[in-house]
Amino acid sequence: MKYILFGLFIFNSIWVSGQNILEYKFKGSEESKPLSQVLNEISDTEGARFFFLPDWIEDIQVDKDYSGKTLEEVLNILFDGKELGFISMYPDALVIIKDPSNAIKRKQAIQTALSQDSKIDNYRFGSPDQMQRGKNVTISGKVIDIKTEEPLPYTNVQVTDTDAIVTTDEQGNFEVELAPGSHVLKFSYIDYDPTIIDLTAYTNGVVNVEMEKQSVLLDEIIIQGQANQEMATSRIGETQLVMKELKRAPAFLGEVDLIKQVQILPGVTTVGEAASGFNVRGGSVDQNLILYDGLPVFNSSHVFGFLSAFNSDAISEVSFFRGGTPAKYGGRISSVLDIQSKDGDFQGWHVKAGIGMVTSSLMVDGPLKKNKTSISTSLRSTYSNWLIHSIDTDYADLSNSSVSFYDGMIKVAHKVDKDTKVSVSGYASHDSFSLSGDSTYRWNNLQISGRLDHRFNNNLDGEFIVGMSSYGYSVLNNDYLTASELSFRINTLTLKAALYTKKGSHKLNYGWQFSHNKFKPGSLEPTSDQSSARFVDLDKQYAIESAFYVGDEIELNPYLFLEAGLRLPLFINFGPGEVIKYESGQPVEVTTATDTSSYGSFQPIKAFLRFEPRISMRLMTSANSSIKFGYNRMFQYLHLVSNSTAVTPVDIWQPSGYYFKPQRADQVSLGFFKDFKEKKYGTSVEGFYKYMNDIIDFKDGAELVLNPHIETELLQGKGRSYGLEFSLFKNSGRLSGSLNYTYSRSFRTISGPTEVESINDGKEYPSNFDQPHILNITWKYNLSRRYYFTGGFTYHTGRPVTIPLSAFKLENTTVAYFSERNQYRIPDYHRLDLALVIEGNHKKTKKWKGNWVISVYNVYSRKNPYTIFFKNSENGIPKPNQLSIVGTIFPSISYNITF
Amino acid sequence: MKKRTVILLVYSLTFFLGCVDSINFEVPPADEQIVVEGSITTDPGPYTVKVTKALDLNEDTVRASPVEQMKVVLHDDIGNSEDFVETLPGVYVTNGAMQGEVGRSYHITMETIDGKKYESESDELFPVGEITDIRYEYEARLKDEGFGEITDDVFNIYVDSEAGVSDENYVRWKFRGLYKVETNPELKVEILPAYPIPRPIPLPCSGYIVLPGPGNRLGKVDECTCCTCYAYQYEEYPQLSDDQLVSGNQFNNIKVAEVPIDVGTFYEKYLVTIEQMSMTRNAFDFFRLVRSQKTNASSIFQPPSGEIRGNVKPTNNNDTVIGLFWATSIKKKSMYIYREDVPYPLTEKFLVPDACYNFYPNSSTFKPAEWD
Repeated sequence: MKYILFGLFIFNSIWVSGQNILEYKFKGSEESKPLSQVLNEISDTEGARFFFLPDWIEDIQVDKDYSGKTLEEVLNILFDGKELGFISMYPDALVIIKDPSNAIKRKQAIQTALSQDSKIDNYRFGSPDQMQRGKNVTISGKVIDIKTEEPLPYTNVQVTDTDAIVTTDEQGNFEVELAPGSHVLKFSYIDYDPTIIDLTAYTNGVVNVEMEKQSVLLDEIIIQGQANQEMATSRIGETQLVMKELKRAPAFLGEVDLIKQVQILPGVTTVGEAASGFNVRGGSVDQNLILYDGLPVFNSSHVFGFLSAFNSDAISEVSFFRGGTPAKYGGRISSVLDIQSKDGDFQGWHVKAGIGMVTSSLMVDGPLKKNKTSISTSLRSTYSNWLIHSIDTDYADLSNSSVSFYDGMIKVAHKVDKDTKVSVSGYASHDSFSLSGDSTYRWNNLQISGRLDHRFNNNLDGEFIVGMSSYGYSVLNNDYLTASELSFRINTLTLKAALYTKKGSHKLNYGWQFSHNKFKPGSLEPTSDQSSARFVDLDKQYAIESAFYVGDEIELNPYLFLEAGLRLPLFINFGPGEVIKYESGQPVEVTTATDTSSYGSFQPIKAFLRFEPRISMRLMTSANSSIKFGYNRMFQYLHLVSNSTAVTPVDIWQPSGYYFKPQRADQVSLGFFKDFKEKKYGTSVEGFYKYMNDIIDFKDGAELVLNPHIETELLQGKGRSYGLEFSLFKNSGRLSGSLNYTYSRSFRTISGPTEVESINDGKEYPSNFDQPHILNITWKYNLSRRYYFTGGFTYHTGRPVTIPLSAFKLENTTVAYFSERNQYRIPDYHRLDLALVIEGNHKKTKKWKGNWVISVYNVYSRKNPYTIFFKNSENGIPKPNQLSIVGTIFPSISYNITF
Repeated sequence: MKKRTVILLVYSLTFFLGCVDSINFEVPPADEQIVVEGSITTDPGPYTVKVTKALDLNEDTVRASPVEQMKVVLHDDIGNSEDFVETLPGVYVTNGAMQGEVGRSYHITMETIDGKKYESESDELFPVGEITDIRYEYEARLKDEGFGEITDDVFNIYVDSEAGVSDENYVRWKFRGLYKVETNPELKVEILPAYPIPRPIPLPCSGYIVLPGPGNRLGKVDECTCCTCYAYQYEEYPQLSDDQLVSGNQFNNIKVAEVPIDVGTFYEKYLVTIEQMSMTRNAFDFFRLVRSQKTNASSIFQPPSGEIRGNVKPTNNNDTVIGLFWATSIKKKSMYIYREDVPYPLTEKFLVPDACYNFYPNSSTFKPAEWD
């Protein structure tokens, strides 16, 4: 990258003709004069302004008679072969610059901006005489949404003439160091119109940028969030998801889904078609931290995972970290999905409604008090009962079955003053599921949070969150003889304080997070007088998790960026409670129980203090490529206890404590990223190795529901996973798309002191999520500005399963002989989806906008196995069966409207 | 509870256009696996070891092919041994020279005619406590048969017992039911096409024949040898002590079995026999896996069943051997439950025009000594 210094002569006069100076025609009298003299003359006579450094052109003479030719033509001839270029900034101004590659870029940037009708703002700081030779100037500022005034984090700030890129931080602040002189800054943020700043700076200055949401669809749409950000973003393994793009991808039943979008990112897999949650780099589903407005979400799905519990209309931004996780996040060892809800518009009211085959949604937002207070609310509900009733099945009479769910959010944001904003948000989701009137499954999430954002001074921003969340489920058994209700609940109180400050090249963020968790691990209550159900109520469990963290982002030089962090989590599992003790040296089993210790209220049972170093680095190897490195250690204190591969609504969350050590993961990742051709194409390769300790697996034949001795059914051991992720994308032109391929493996080793405390004799075995080959391709082809095809293809290796190999007779019954754990695989998964999107009229003036999405899911009717299970035949021999959830082609249509 | 949960989940996922298809995996051939089943008890012998080959999953029969002509020897830990003799194909029995003693450990060695050797791990014979009480309780139940609910009443069987003196209280309660049934094989008929009246075809064992002449009259010519049977009922899966906490060295109110109430099982009376058996942890783990597999069968979210191997290992080859040779003390208790104990009158007659052993599973005309 070349930085060039501008020392400029400024000619001040007025260009009156209204013509572009480049069209000035030579008269012939200029022949044999030095170019500088000619330009001065033109300047005098025509009132134009030329900017140049005299020594660049002192050896250039107007070598012959150019009468009749324009200034542009003459300059092109004279500069041919020389490292000089020129651009006309205004009709009356012309700048001559050295290093034509930069010149061309500036020229292009401004011309592109002009042709796209982009917003161009002018800024000028200081004058040439204030310039200090050899010293750069610093331009800082803040990027906000012009309407909501929300800061826009991770906005790209590109210095178009040098290719340098910085991004704004969480508060929308940025800082860029430039050579004194003129530059063009391009601000781009997904879904927003780019903003161009024409900047001339000889001293430090502040540029505040207001960006406006795109009201017209651009031709260049990025299929995946990572597309133009991967290079710019500071961290390895981070992805920003684009909510808008989600809505145009083909979707099952036409329902757009956030979690489904996560599932196609590199390094992410899912165990089945409709499995809720996702597996990141060989980790289990519970190892993903899902935050909604800063509070943890324990079950992110509707209808066992067909849909995620978040209405994508109500989400403003989503960050996903699978490596290089900042110190700010902790408590889960695989990944972080941080979801922020939308503030309402502070300027005007909007209504958005979507009608699909299964759900309908409504979102309303607007100002309660203009520029001061806004409200945003959304509701989504289902009317899928028709679907159930219309489906023919051999399994049950579904006419009195029902499925219902809803989710809703409300958020009120209030700007106290220019430095302070307060918001309160509430979120609720509920599912109810009943089959043949026999049992009803219900689960729900409820959370309320308050947040205060305050800018203490130019150098210190703060973010404070207080919130409560509650997740629970119940299974109602309606059979009058055994009528009962099984229930489970976790209540969490969360407090968070985060501060952001900067000093020189350091950007610091530090804070404290606290949560108090109360677990009701299970109770069974008879619900009728005749019921034979036995009352069971397992003891409640209590735990707190508190963490201090500090992170420092350091711009060591324009090429090297470093982020280092440290997190100190403290986890205490405390009373009231009882701990059963077992004979030492014996396996932990009911038969080896010796006595019970009681703990009083707030008496610690077990405490864990850990430390988690985090580091992430980026080295720019050229203007378009970089090498990134990340290392993080993370601990997890809450474990989802499940002996099925898929998440079911009756799984139990178990805190660490006397018998369960926190899970630990250490991950290193290294990647290479490169953009080609003005960022039209990009590619990346990223490798990782993850080592996990004290991960939980269950004993063969474990019983987990309502088990008061759950420690006797679970084992802890080691895990490791590694992989290589390739990504290729093209984000402009008629055809855009992305291709992600991952090769990865994931293993577990559970080797206890005795055979019963080991799995597969203590040998390493593939984890449930070991899917070596994963390929995801998405594309979009524009037929016209309003019609386009989108599509997606997914392939992954079938996950490991344990299957019966044979059967044998034992004491008059037939028993299956199973393989060692996870030694076989279900058939590979692959699926093709297509959609046609018809956008409505895009005129800015139109009162409402709509779009149709006609999608076809599973185009070639592949019967992908969701799970393998074994049904005993009449003579007791188990026969393997595969269950396909969507075993057929499934078309759907949906319409979205905004006004 | 658990079972119900799981089965309902199957429905819930399948109605979403789901479909279930059978699937085949490439697995090693089943007949390369040898299955061994045998035990030694404190009761006098003979003791039996059965050796068979594993069944292929695609096989329709559950008749396992026997492994014949093996040399099987029983050993204890102080150098005594006794040979087993093959009495039926694949069935090897001792002749009663050795008897299980508490505190001794036992194992078997096996050799096929082609020289492959197998050996069980030594299994210690632990003492077991007495069953102090055995009792039953009536429970009304309904079962959904698709077309409607039918009664599915049971007697629950409970025991109280001593837990034994050993530190390791691995106990199994083995249930066995025995009931007497009668059928009418002389009333068997066949319906021929284009012939409106069913034609009697009394089974020869019924003692009846169709008398010559018109009217298809039946006449008794001999005693019936297939009208009265004694049918056994076995537990579906082993009942184990692992989810029972011992209180004061006592197992109290342990539900060990369910006896279905119907016209067949309570034709006359029902004999319940419970054996309380001691075992080592090895044997216990084996039966625990068998139980978990049986209780979790056929559920879509079924947890992977563990590999059930047991304690028999090959010594000079790499064959897969499944099986257990275990040592146990047995304390037994029996009781009758009578037809009159059913709190309502059962249907008087249930006509079965077939040989009793054809109709009732695990039945034979042989009257067991324990029945009176």
